[in-house]
Amino acid sequence: MSTQLDLKELERKAFRSTYQDGLWDLYFGLIVICMSIFVYRPATGYSPVNIVLALSAMAAAYSLFWAGKKFITLPRMGQVQFGAQRKKRRLTLIIVLSVVVLIQVVLVSLQLLAWANPEVGTRFNSLIRDRNVMDLVVASIGALIVGPSMILVAYFRDFPRGYFIAVMIALAVFLMIYLNQPVYPIIIGALIALPGLVLFVRFLQKYSLRQEEAPNE
Amino acid sequence: MNKADGSADLSALAEVDRLIHEPARLAVIALLYVVESADFIFLMNQTGLTWGNLSAHMSKLEEAGYIEVVKSFKGKRPNTMLRLTQAGRVAFQAYRQQMKRVLDGLPE
Repeated sequence: MSTQLDLKELERKAFRSTYQDGLWDLYFGLIVICMSIFVYRPATGYSPVNIVLALSAMAAAYSLFWAGKKFITLPRMGQVQFGAQRKKRRLTLIIVLSVVVLIQVVLVSLQLLAWANPEVGTRFNSLIRDRNVMDLVVASIGALIVGPSMILVAYFRDFPRGYFIAVMIALAVFLMIYLNQPVYPIIIGALIALPGLVLFVRFLQKYSLRQEEAPNE
Repeated sequence: MNKADGSADLSALAEVDRLIHEPARLAVIALLYVVESADFIFLMNQTGLTWGNLSAHMSKLEEAGYIEVVKSFKGKRPNTMLRLTQAGRVAFQAYRQQMKRVLDGLPE
């Protein structure tokens, strides 16, 4: 192995060590569970309250993730800033994900336009007459947007477990829309969170809380 | 490697920067070479060095001007950030090239 490869490996090992607390897995698992519970369309109908509750629950999940990183991980593992290459990858991810969000917005807008315009709606409905086929199409589109987005996150953030999470999230979104019931996605969310929980416990066992003294003084 | 007579040019080893060559300091400086900056706890975890050891090596590297140490407080906790200086970066690159020359010259 060349010297250059060794240094690359050293940097990668240092970077990936920031994932060994399992908080990302727990966070994505929680997101899927929140989504499953609150975005589920009950027989009584769909209400904006669902969206508000889902967003609030996701915000709570992110707050837990942030607090975990700040108050549990950083004091135990220390702080590190990576070089320009990593920052460039992060910026690229932001740009690519922004494009994905833009595509989503366009898709949703087109859908709203179709609903608002009876002529377009009728034409669309004539294409997909069967309700099951409609659900299948929407579920597939949802899974195909969420899954690849997570694959991009895994690739650009050099997060190998992210590929597993991508497959699971795509499956969760598909089942959530297609079957319109929250049990399977909740199970999938738990399956995403479980390895994170194991890693988190191991992390706490491996890294004790260190108070920095004043070296060289 | 002395190509003419086939013997390794071991005199190049004498020119190796001994401050970097020490394994613990080499681990610290290599790690700081691949990241922008890291704090004391992160370096301890990554290198496996004890507090005292790392502190001693840090002082030597700082005295040589190879690393820059910034001490601050995060809330009530002291925080020591370390960063490789330009001199440290150049010295490490020179060390790598020297070692590569010497080791590549050895027979399989």
